[in-house]
Amino acid sequence: MIHVPAPDPFTVFGLPRALDLDERALEQRYLRLSRECHPDRLRATDAGDCIAVLQRAAEINDAWQVLRDPWRRARALLEAERPGVLERNKRLDPGFLASALDLAEAVADARGAATAPLRAQLTAALAADWDRLRGHVLRGELDAAARAVHESHYHTKALHDLDAKS
Amino acid sequence: MTAAPPPPPSPRLVVGIDLGTTNSLAAVRAGKLPHVLRDRDGQPLVPSVVCYHPDGRVLVGREAKALRLELPDRTVFSVKRLVGRSAREVEAEATRLPYRVVAGERGLPRIAIGDARHSPEAVSARILQRVKAIAEEALAQPVQAAVITVPAWFDDAQRQATKDAAALAGIDCLRILNEPTAAALAYGIDGKKDGTVLVYDLGGGTFDVSILRIEDGVFRVLATAGDTHLGGDDFDQLLADRILAALPGAVPATRQSDPFVLQAVRAAAEGLKIRLSSANEAELALDLGPRGTARLTVTRAEFEAAIAPLVQRTLDCVQRAVKDAGLRLPAIDDVVLVGGSTRVPLVRERLRNLVGKAPHTDVDPDLAVALGAAIQADVLAGNDRSLLLLDVIPLSLGIETLGGAVQKLILRNSTIPTSVTEEFSTGVDGQTSVDLSIHQGERELAADCRLLGRFQLRGIPPMPAGLPRIAVTFLVDADGVLRVTAREHRTGVEAGIQVVPTFGLSRDEVRRMMLDSIEHAQTDYVAREAIDLRNKAEAMVRGTRKALALAELPPDQTWAVHKAVKALEALLAGAADTAALKAGCDALTEVTATIADDVISSAVTKALREEERR
Repeated sequence: MIHVPAPDPFTVFGLPRALDLDERALEQRYLRLSRECHPDRLRATDAGDCIAVLQRAAEINDAWQVLRDPWRRARALLEAERPGVLERNKRLDPGFLASALDLAEAVADARGAATAPLRAQLTAALAADWDRLRGHVLRGELDAAARAVHESHYHTKALHDLDAKS
Repeated sequence: MTAAPPPPPSPRLVVGIDLGTTNSLAAVRAGKLPHVLRDRDGQPLVPSVVCYHPDGRVLVGREAKALRLELPDRTVFSVKRLVGRSAREVEAEATRLPYRVVAGERGLPRIAIGDARHSPEAVSARILQRVKAIAEEALAQPVQAAVITVPAWFDDAQRQATKDAAALAGIDCLRILNEPTAAALAYGIDGKKDGTVLVYDLGGGTFDVSILRIEDGVFRVLATAGDTHLGGDDFDQLLADRILAALPGAVPATRQSDPFVLQAVRAAAEGLKIRLSSANEAELALDLGPRGTARLTVTRAEFEAAIAPLVQRTLDCVQRAVKDAGLRLPAIDDVVLVGGSTRVPLVRERLRNLVGKAPHTDVDPDLAVALGAAIQADVLAGNDRSLLLLDVIPLSLGIETLGGAVQKLILRNSTIPTSVTEEFSTGVDGQTSVDLSIHQGERELAADCRLLGRFQLRGIPPMPAGLPRIAVTFLVDADGVLRVTAREHRTGVEAGIQVVPTFGLSRDEVRRMMLDSIEHAQTDYVAREAIDLRNKAEAMVRGTRKALALAELPPDQTWAVHKAVKALEALLAGAADTAALKAGCDALTEVTATIADDVISSAVTKALREEERR
């Protein structure tokens, strides 16, 4: 089973491919597109049930899920700009991987008061990942940007594990 | 002044129907606010009970409920708990039901009444037909289409089964709508309640909680959680167990032993529960004739201790839904209660303690769902373009992979419609078909999720293994129902998909049963229409005659009115058909309308209004 990527969410929303989007404007756009394309709007004309209408509405909903999440948005942007870029840049720096492993262990061992500073550390690491990603994208360094996305995944997961513990 | 002409029937009237575990009802929206549709006795609620009488009659609603002690094994209630499920899944539950549930074709549950076997869908269809008939009578016009509500937590099979029941009842189901979402519509329709709302819906047999954001006419569901087997029925069961224990001698609590005792005890338990919502203590003396008498006193504290674990389960769902919505409890602006079981004081108290807000009680918990469905019906009919509803799929959908694991394709709480496309290939040279199993649920292993169906991709051109590329699109529509399409990429061949549903009726079964029921529904409606028209014509004749005696009209006008009345009378005396009667009524209305005398026209209007009220 091979996943077939959904259409580029920026195109679905009619937006230029950009890493930073205004969240409120994005949401308003989503609601406006939904108002125009939701099958409920076309039910009275009996077209609301046809596959094409449902497919268009599904694309809008699915694109919204991607665009509203900064990291998923980043992945979609890289794939749209250079298909396969994420897959080709999966090999990460050994130094980074060692430090990521240390973090994961710290999260596994963290108890009580130790969780708060760890959370702060991970949040800061994610913010740094984002800044690095933005820099790479601005300079057109998409391979490096893809690696930054992959690296951020370790921090996201560690944060998630930490939240699951409390 | 003229006699009020009947309002022109709208070409496509869509009602909202709440098909409940315990009660069902319909509502319609005319203007801004929706209203429920009542039967001749002014009652909106139809008990979701169907009685198959030995004399061949099928009774529905209050008439059926009245027979539950007399014909305990022929009176079917709570059928919603069986819809869209397998016989094995409902086995434990079925032993506590006074009627018999057996395994039929493909292991599906069938309700056995004598030698007859009824599918849960067919029983639900009976209830829907009754609700439809009440709606048609209240609106004085046929109803063909409806929005029907289901618990948000209903899975694909249960939704499909509900659509099938609607088809059997001759109703075009425009939308399957989630009950808590419908309630939120009823709550937020005035446009003054923008914010984040938690809907807590504890019905007779199911529990749902949904978190919605309401903003500028957009009702967006952020997350939903629930339990399709948790409701007021379960509270009743705990009390029923106590009543059975209080009976002299050991009365085994199974249907086989005594359906009458089971039905009587259930009814008594429900009564106890209702009394315990307002009193601190309730006494019961249940005389079961030769089976003995149960005497007991239950305090509210005892009742609350018994149901506390069930209430806690609902609160766990609430917390999960809030978390899934990416929120914390303080972000909830308002709590809306739906379902009769939210009248239980412990439920309200525990919920208030958890959320830290007193629940909103403006909307009647029994009517809110139907009212909301009517609003959505109005939107789908194209009458309201200001509202938009964005709902979610309650449970993840996935496909079984090698080793029995489930690969999730669509995650729970995704806004619907939603879709995903995956590519499959063949494992053997010349292979022309591929089998897929679709599962719904959150667990990792296929065995722990519900198998919705097996799909077979067919008509793949013979090619070396791995070469064909079949793109399969899984699309969840606005009803929350899955649709699958497939295409082979290299050849562009539209791959055929054969679906073998695990639950519910096959397409052929539905088609066959539908043909039967549509014929009946048509005859039923025509018959009722004829009776209504006769009553109307008689009222017009009476009213006009009375008015003629009072009014002082020029002779030519008196004569004209008199002639029209006579003509209508003649039609009534003969066996005139509906069309002729209608023409007679119209002729009389026309004549009286041209007369510049208030007495005549108002007399006709008054007579008609009285007739309607009766």
